[in-house]
Amino acid sequence: MKKKVLSLLLTGTMVAAMLAGCGGSGSDTGNSGAAADTAADTGAASTDNAAASTGDAAASTGDATGGEETLTVWCWDPAFNLNAMYEAEKVYQKDHPNFKLNVVETPWEDVQTKITTAATSNDLSTLPDILLMQDNAFQKNVISFPSAFTDLTGSGVDYSAFAAGKTAYSVIGGKNYGVPFDNGAVVGCYRTDMLEQAGLTVDDFTDITWDQYIENGKKVLEATGKPLISMQAGECDLIMMMMQSAGSSLFNEDGTANIVNNDTLKVVMETYKALKDSGVLVEVNSWDEYVGSFVSGDVAGTINGCWIMASIQTAEDQSGKWAITNMPSLVGASGATNYSNNGGSSWAVTANCQNTALAFDFLKSTFAGSTELYDNILPSGALATWAPAGDSDAYGVGNDFFGGDAVSAKIVEFSTKVPSNITGVYYYEARDAVATAITNYINGSSIDTELQTAESTVNFNMGK
Amino acid sequence: MSKPTKKMTLSKKHNLTGWAFLAPGALLILFMSFIPMFRALLLSFKTGVGAAMEWCGVLNYVRMFQDAVFIQSIKNTFFYLIIQVPIMLIFALVLASILNNRNLRFKGIFRTMIFLPCATSLVAYAVIFRSLFANNGIINLILVNLGILDQPYSFLTNTWSARIVIIIALLWRWTGYNMVFYLSGLQNIEYSVYEAAKIDGASAVQTFFKITVPLLKPTILLTAIMSTNGTLQLFDESVNLTDGGPANASITMSHYIYNMSFKYVPNFGYAAAMSFLILLLVAVLAFLQMKVGDKRD
Amino acid sequence: MYLFLCIVSFISVFPLYWMICAATNKSAEVVSGRLIPGTYFMENFKNLIANQNIGRALGNSFKYAIILTVISLIVSSLAGYGFEIYHDKAKDTVMSIILLAMMVPFVATLIPLFQMISSAGWLNTTIGFILPTVSTPFLIMMFRQSARSFPHDIMEAARIDGLSELRIFFQMFIPTMRSTYAAAMTITFMNAWNSYLWPKVIMTDSSSQTMPMVVANLTQGYVTDYGMLMLAVLICTLPTAIVFFCLQNAFAEGITGAVK
Repeated sequence: MKKKVLSLLLTGTMVAAMLAGCGGSGSDTGNSGAAADTAADTGAASTDNAAASTGDAAASTGDATGGEETLTVWCWDPAFNLNAMYEAEKVYQKDHPNFKLNVVETPWEDVQTKITTAATSNDLSTLPDILLMQDNAFQKNVISFPSAFTDLTGSGVDYSAFAAGKTAYSVIGGKNYGVPFDNGAVVGCYRTDMLEQAGLTVDDFTDITWDQYIENGKKVLEATGKPLISMQAGECDLIMMMMQSAGSSLFNEDGTANIVNNDTLKVVMETYKALKDSGVLVEVNSWDEYVGSFVSGDVAGTINGCWIMASIQTAEDQSGKWAITNMPSLVGASGATNYSNNGGSSWAVTANCQNTALAFDFLKSTFAGSTELYDNILPSGALATWAPAGDSDAYGVGNDFFGGDAVSAKIVEFSTKVPSNITGVYYYEARDAVATAITNYINGSSIDTELQTAESTVNFNMGK
Repeated sequence: MSKPTKKMTLSKKHNLTGWAFLAPGALLILFMSFIPMFRALLLSFKTGVGAAMEWCGVLNYVRMFQDAVFIQSIKNTFFYLIIQVPIMLIFALVLASILNNRNLRFKGIFRTMIFLPCATSLVAYAVIFRSLFANNGIINLILVNLGILDQPYSFLTNTWSARIVIIIALLWRWTGYNMVFYLSGLQNIEYSVYEAAKIDGASAVQTFFKITVPLLKPTILLTAIMSTNGTLQLFDESVNLTDGGPANASITMSHYIYNMSFKYVPNFGYAAAMSFLILLLVAVLAFLQMKVGDKRD
Repeated sequence: MYLFLCIVSFISVFPLYWMICAATNKSAEVVSGRLIPGTYFMENFKNLIANQNIGRALGNSFKYAIILTVISLIVSSLAGYGFEIYHDKAKDTVMSIILLAMMVPFVATLIPLFQMISSAGWLNTTIGFILPTVSTPFLIMMFRQSARSFPHDIMEAARIDGLSELRIFFQMFIPTMRSTYAAAMTITFMNAWNSYLWPKVIMTDSSSQTMPMVVANLTQGYVTDYGMLMLAVLICTLPTAIVFFCLQNAFAEGITGAVK
């Protein structure tokens, strides 16, 4: 009987503790500082376990005291983004010896989940000071959770030094919310040895149109039996790259969907279908298979954001056999260019950052002000969108994998020519709707019906 | 009259003991599941972007039946449920009764191997299945070499084959898992019952239907309800194998709800409303199964 | 019969073989579909150690999973036993209501749960990890269903001998139901070990990351090193496989006679 009483007692205590917890959260105050304090008290009072770890929890939020010069950062990809942050820490420490970064490796999907959870719960205290955000998600997050991010317009960062197309991703309502980071300028990558078999060189792919691309592709297919490009089915990366290359978007300035009457989108879809029908483009099932297709030499090239070159270079045996150039331009679309963008991300400062002066100064003196930083991270493949970095000598050095070409300088040049477009708050909804449309269109449905469906899907999601 | 009185107090005492036994578990569920569920229920009557929510009555519940993608996801999910759950449970039951045979050698090895799929981490499982069914994957290689196909078939990008791959993946992953419950359930059946049946000349099939199935009924009910629940909340396969494609042909309800919460502009009110439709569907199915299967003899 | 079992086992085991091969090959070889073991194991291992804090993640995962499993088994089996042995109409109804708790997708209750755990100060803690899943309708029902085969005459005999109800549970029920406990332990451990959505929401600190979170980290780069990734996945899979192998005799070999 004693045991029973004991167990009931324990349960009771636990319930009481939880009730206290509920009460605190019930009042949606959003005063995160106070919430954190209560939290620490409750935690310390309840069990050994919680008490032991409370210390860590407090440290992790990073907003401890004003005197300390520590910033917490969330980002993903150790070889790339984390490395860049560590290098930035080193650069900044030269003038600020007490400065420290607490970098928590967090995959993008988790960053997104955590932002959404914290902001929806009105409990921003769990967010770090700085986080890395996918450019495509910037509009969505800032507009959905306006109180979670800090306006950087007056932070002292000189935005005129960044490529305009890149900065546009993180401008919401005329205010800057992000410090642009990595470059996503689109490059056309080609296997020169395979092109040679078809009597072609990479010059035949420079400044061309998609019609010429298909003609060349047919020659390559005939000579080598290999398609020129592979793309992941159901993902519309290439579609979006083509759209942006003509400065077109799935949304209008006022935020309404621009799908049914979007002539550029029609041209893009027709071009994509022509690519597939000619056999020049082969669709694969997944990202792994996509990477596998060029690493194992099943296709003669690819077109993607310049970061794809890091994956290409994992095929060490193909060194010297690759070359890069710009992408083909659309035929029959107004404003068509040979330049576009895919992927990339920018740094955001959250509303939980207590020492904004430090965060601003750190970003201003590193990612928006240090050629040294960009030189240091260049070996990892991180290319700047900050124009002064491109003038550095390091960017002019040839890359043996790509036949000794100075690819870095080339890409920075591409990125300055990328037309800017409107991402849109409902970017992911529209992207999925268009992916559905293109799949059905390839399988024989009419383009107008599919665009109609896509637009009504997007309108439905926007609550219209 | 003393005897009945005593009996009453005793049963009363047992009754209370029962409540005390189940109290910790039940209270934890109350606080960790029902309170959040209640708050989600309130949320399902609200609408708005992000954290700015307003009351909207039953709008979300009306909205979901106008949502073409969600309706597609309901159809897909039920297709998986109807095809996959019965096959899996029967297969698991057969495997369990084979592996329960005392005279079988290497039982432990076989059991572990058949269990392995569900222990495999999701990342590996997804990469492996995608590569198996890739255009240049092993399945295509075998089918082409056997002359069944002329050229590689793109399994994951065609409507029906994508759905079937998901079902195959589910069978592969969860059959061994369900087998575990049957194996442990079989231990509560006296082995002598089987020996007696053997002496009476019962065939393996007869033993299976006359002894194994009836005696395992409580466990079968358990697994049936769990599989129904699991399938109606199916998420991993849809996200990782096909990403809901092609053109939403394989997307599940949970996958769509997740997109609505974390991928798209967050609309938690609508996501909560759709979640309660799942609750309703599972509850009805579970209730029917309980009605059929939860009788004490 | 052996042939049938061998085929089934082969199909089941193939991915494990695939993982082992992948863990010993270079990334480019993995995506090209190489299916023979390679010589790149040590390189992958070195890269993995340099890239991620595997030891800490394993330690965390073990800590969370073991604590959760132990508490969960006690709480759920007590409840399942209570529901079945002392069953009456009211308790059957409560059981049906409890089942409702598992029928809502976790995504829907994630935000309210996060608010509760966060305001209690339990982010980045073991208690925060275990609380939402320490008592599950599934386990309670599993114990309720198997308690149905717990012989009533044994209980009556024990009561006549003057054993308290709690002692009957600990001294008679637990040993008799060893196979159920072993099966429940395997499943609970596996679920705790592999759980991902909840930890990724409440674990905001590097020092509390779990093994599945480390695996997720490895898939997020611009370049995925598939060899290294598969080695991490292999390390992540082994503990559950080993737990199963050790426990399978306990739940699949009858223990008849223990209480006869």
